[in-house]
Amino acid sequence: MSLVSQDRMPVLRNGPVLRNGFVGVPPDTFRNAGRHGRHRLRRHWENSPRRLFSDTAVFTGRVLRRWRRDTSTLVESLIMPVVLLVTLDIVLGDNVSQVTGHSALYGSVPLMAMVGAMTGAMVSGIGLMRERTDGVLSRLWVLPVHRASGLLSRLLADVVRIMITTAVILGVGLALGFRFRQGILHAAAWLFIPSVLGLAFTAAVITLSLYAANTVMVELSEGIWAVLMFFSTGFVPLDQYPHWIQPVVKHQPVSCAVEAMRGLSLGGPVLAPTVEMLMWAVGILAACAIPLAIGYRRASMRG
Amino acid sequence: MSSPATVPFAVRPNTSTLQQWWVLTVRVITPTLRNGEALTQVATSMMFTAGYYIPLKQIMSAFVVGMSYGQYLMPLIALQAVAFAAVSAAFRSASDSVQGINRRFKAMEIGSLTPLASRMSASMYRCVIALATALVCGHAIGFRFYGGWVHTVGFCVLMLLIGAALSLLGDLIGASNENPEATVPVMLVPQLFFGLLSVGLQPVERFPEWIQPFVRNQPVSQFVYALRALAGDSAASPGEVTWSNLSPALAWMAGLMVITVPMHAIVAARRR
Repeated sequence: MSLVSQDRMPVLRNGPVLRNGFVGVPPDTFRNAGRHGRHRLRRHWENSPRRLFSDTAVFTGRVLRRWRRDTSTLVESLIMPVVLLVTLDIVLGDNVSQVTGHSALYGSVPLMAMVGAMTGAMVSGIGLMRERTDGVLSRLWVLPVHRASGLLSRLLADVVRIMITTAVILGVGLALGFRFRQGILHAAAWLFIPSVLGLAFTAAVITLSLYAANTVMVELSEGIWAVLMFFSTGFVPLDQYPHWIQPVVKHQPVSCAVEAMRGLSLGGPVLAPTVEMLMWAVGILAACAIPLAIGYRRASMRG
Repeated sequence: MSSPATVPFAVRPNTSTLQQWWVLTVRVITPTLRNGEALTQVATSMMFTAGYYIPLKQIMSAFVVGMSYGQYLMPLIALQAVAFAAVSAAFRSASDSVQGINRRFKAMEIGSLTPLASRMSASMYRCVIALATALVCGHAIGFRFYGGWVHTVGFCVLMLLIGAALSLLGDLIGASNENPEATVPVMLVPQLFFGLLSVGLQPVERFPEWIQPFVRNQPVSQFVYALRALAGDSAASPGEVTWSNLSPALAWMAGLMVITVPMHAIVAARRR
């Protein structure tokens, strides 16, 4: 018996699914493999937009699968904001509702959704640094995949992660007495708000992790999220802060997100804080975009 | 063929544990000055001061009778700053374990506890930075020592002892899970959980009835009671410096050390 030569392999012609379970991408070029030579993917240049979607999807799946299988990280990123939410409700819940007349949960549930997004960004930043040290990034860089897919997939995976975290926190919030008073559409919009700002925060943390030392990046981003948490309108109401700091508290990104989400659940202004939050998100993303791309490329080509 | 005279040889130098300890301590401390870690330690102390004091002053002042809120809050701020130093210690020891330097030490002529001792000294260096910054920040929000210099020294010593106990714990967590990225969130949750659910922010009566026993007796609250007594107050409301005031804090601390030190021995003896 001799080896089956490449263009006689029956499986290749019969369909996109190979015997070993892999799916040939893209199918039409794959079927032509035997006729046109060795380069199965010749039709699509590695940076063609057509490749971007499929490559990003594959890498997003990879990042999410790693997250899912790392049980300790998974549990932490879900449990930490939940524990903090319950703690904050016990410690400050009564005081805040005495001052405002509303349950403190309308501020603290969004706040904890944002904290979950920010701490998760930190974890993915550290994960990226570790992949750089282990050489995974440079290994992925030699594959014929779209150059942008590695970075985009990380951001996309983080959006998915933030949505899941937000849903879990919402579940705990509902158990504690949080309710949507504005209808189903508002509730759906509420769920999306943290991922928008969280995406910008992830981009910032990843940029930081590509340029700063390990410990510094961790402590810095931790300090940033703690400051954003303490000085936000979700922690205590705006009028409880001293006058001189109120403008800062009111206009910082997390407060904007919290106020938008408060408006979407309890009622109140939605448009103004949402627009402000979007401006923050776009601004942060724009500021990070170029250093992020350069840093990622540099990290991938190292070693 | 070489004759014995031409074979190069060296006399094994005498190793001094003290010198090894010093070299390993400097190994951890030097990078903190270079990569900005010492600065972040200072910054986080300031952040905890501002983060607790500014938002909570107005809302909590009504429930804290007889003393200024700065005086009331300061022990918790100092504790959080020192606990954060322990988080850094955990991160450091996890990085050391995962990068294999501990394994390398095991193959060298080093006493088995010397690396731990050097990491602990580096942790104490972090704690001193954290405490000094917290004291300066506390001064800014109106904290003063009223108890004379013996009590003041007692305050600082107790603080550093707590820092040592927490750093031992952090070091243990870092060395045992060998996962730097998981370490920081793992340590941060209890830090905020025990910090917020303590008498450091508001009197125990302000908590819901069912959780009051926990709030009153958990370690951070007991540390806060002891520290508050040592700091004193202009109106003498935070309690006298008595054995009954200090002993629970000391007991918690001793208990923590008694549990963590043998576990360190177990983790250090683990082979991979």
